Amino acid sequence: MSDENTYGLMASFDTPGEVMHAAEKVRDEGFKHWDVITPFPVHGMNEAMGISRSRVPVFTLLGGAAGFFGGMLMIWYMNAYDYPIVVGGKPMFSPMYAFPVSYELTILLAAFGAIIGMFILNRLPMHYHPAMKHDAVDRASNDRFYIIIESSDPRFDEKTTTALMEKIGGSDVTRIED
Amino acid sequence: MSTSGSTENRGGGAAVTPAGEGFAAKALVVGGAGLLLTLLGLLTGDSPRVGLGALVGLTFWLSIGLGMWFLIMLFHLFDAGWGTVTRRPMEHATTMFPWIAGIFFILVIYSLLAGTDQGLWKWMNTENTVVIAGETATVEDDVLYHHKSAYLNNTFFILRSLLYFGIFIGVATVLRRASFSQDRDGDGAWTTVCRKWSAAGVILGALAATFVALDWIMTLEFHWFSTMFGVWFFSASMRAALAGTILLCLLLVHLGVFRGIFKQAHLYELGRLSLAFTVFWAYISFSQYFLIWNANIPEVTYWYVNREHEHWWWVGLALLFGHFFVPFLFLLFYQNKIRPGRMIFISAWILGFHLLDLYFNILPSKQAASGLPYYNFGIAFWDVAAFVGVGGICVWAFLNSYLGQKPIPVRDPRILESLHHHE
Repeated sequence: MSDENTYGLMASFDTPGEVMHAAEKVRDEGFKHWDVITPFPVHGMNEAMGISRSRVPVFTLLGGAAGFFGGMLMIWYMNAYDYPIVVGGKPMFSPMYAFPVSYELTILLAAFGAIIGMFILNRLPMHYHPAMKHDAVDRASNDRFYIIIESSDPRFDEKTTTALMEKIGGSDVTRIED
Repeated sequence: MSTSGSTENRGGGAAVTPAGEGFAAKALVVGGAGLLLTLLGLLTGDSPRVGLGALVGLTFWLSIGLGMWFLIMLFHLFDAGWGTVTRRPMEHATTMFPWIAGIFFILVIYSLLAGTDQGLWKWMNTENTVVIAGETATVEDDVLYHHKSAYLNNTFFILRSLLYFGIFIGVATVLRRASFSQDRDGDGAWTTVCRKWSAAGVILGALAATFVALDWIMTLEFHWFSTMFGVWFFSASMRAALAGTILLCLLLVHLGVFRGIFKQAHLYELGRLSLAFTVFWAYISFSQYFLIWNANIPEVTYWYVNREHEHWWWVGLALLFGHFFVPFLFLLFYQNKIRPGRMIFISAWILGFHLLDLYFNILPSKQAASGLPYYNFGIAFWDVAAFVGVGGICVWAFLNSYLGQKPIPVRDPRILESLHHHE
């Protein structure tokens, strides 16, 4: 491990192909806390980085289930328990008429679940990132590709990681301060 | 648009094989035998039961063809990139329409000529029995019939059915021929032709498919009415077509034709559409039940009361759990949508329950004197004959078209995008 101030190391690449092959090597070295910055989505990058499928659907499912059962419970509580009232000769509670509302709530809360889950998993909102201290990184939204390996990774070592980044084809290896 | 290549080559297709042609001939023989058996059943067996079973078989295959036809038009209208490779098998499937028309009109002619209470649509013969408020009467004495007779009479029914088939056959043929022509000359203008015809076809098709459901299925019990019925048939057709497309594409992968062409990403997209239409079917079916349950008016509630009688109660529950909950929960999971084996399982499952759904809508329509369904649920020998008969003809029509053409629209402007489709 290096000194406290180091956030990580950043290396730059010229083409999507180069950064993808470099990412495969970083993945194979066993790094966990690292990221790739590209100006556009690169197909196959998830596999190259060894990232498993997003866990957002779990939040969506939980949101949807909460909406459905919450809606049923709410209508049962209001119409059959708290203030029982006969409407249209129907039973005090029936899943039949509670369904449209529960269905809408399922969709609403599933959507909330997906959005909130996405924010949580992406650690958003994130207004600041240490890489922003370097003007060079602006080109990540134009024509350059970057790999950042964070110092919090157990395998991180300033010397060997710098050597690795140069070996996999990265140029301008820069230390990023936290 | 210039033509190139020899005409003997039937569009330059490389797919013609003796094995394929042999199978087509077998399908024709099996289909013809099935249909002859069905006709025999109509003339000698329990005619109304045979007729209703034949209508179930006919609408099963037709719904697959119609749904595929809608998918083709949707792909054209939205200029869809990913689906181009899956479009060709669907185009072949729409060659079933003229043959379905022929079989349908045999059923109509039979119903027109059949004796009292022997035909399918009881309003066709004024001597047929109807049940009004628990008492039997003839169609002649039925006030409700007289109010509906301006629409519901034999001449108009036949003219309408001819119009529906005219729309199905006409638009499907134009789209199919345009697609095959593009294989030969590579002219991008065919894509525009298809888009324009799809714009008209999707509206005409929506109306025609709706009225098919109303005329052929809903009027089996012409006292009853539901504004959801046409949409129910559409949603059911889309599910059947997607399941059919998945099975067809995976079969072509298995045969080597689609190997390296139909990939995980395509299967995933079809699976997602399958999930969407599973929810849509449930939404429509529930809405129809809910509106009738909520209004609670006897002139429409009897339809569901009859479908809670004896076996039909269990059939209804089987549809709720088997046709909605199982496919819905199954298709929610990503892994289930990308593994061919699992998609084969759920697509076959959906087609099986789609058939049950058609039984549920069609078979209880014949009423006993009590007003309750005359027939319990059951699969009769004649049902199998009709199902295999119509199916054999559809397979034969499909192969006839398939064997002369390229397996994918090779010169479609979107073909590369589709081949390189990524999740």
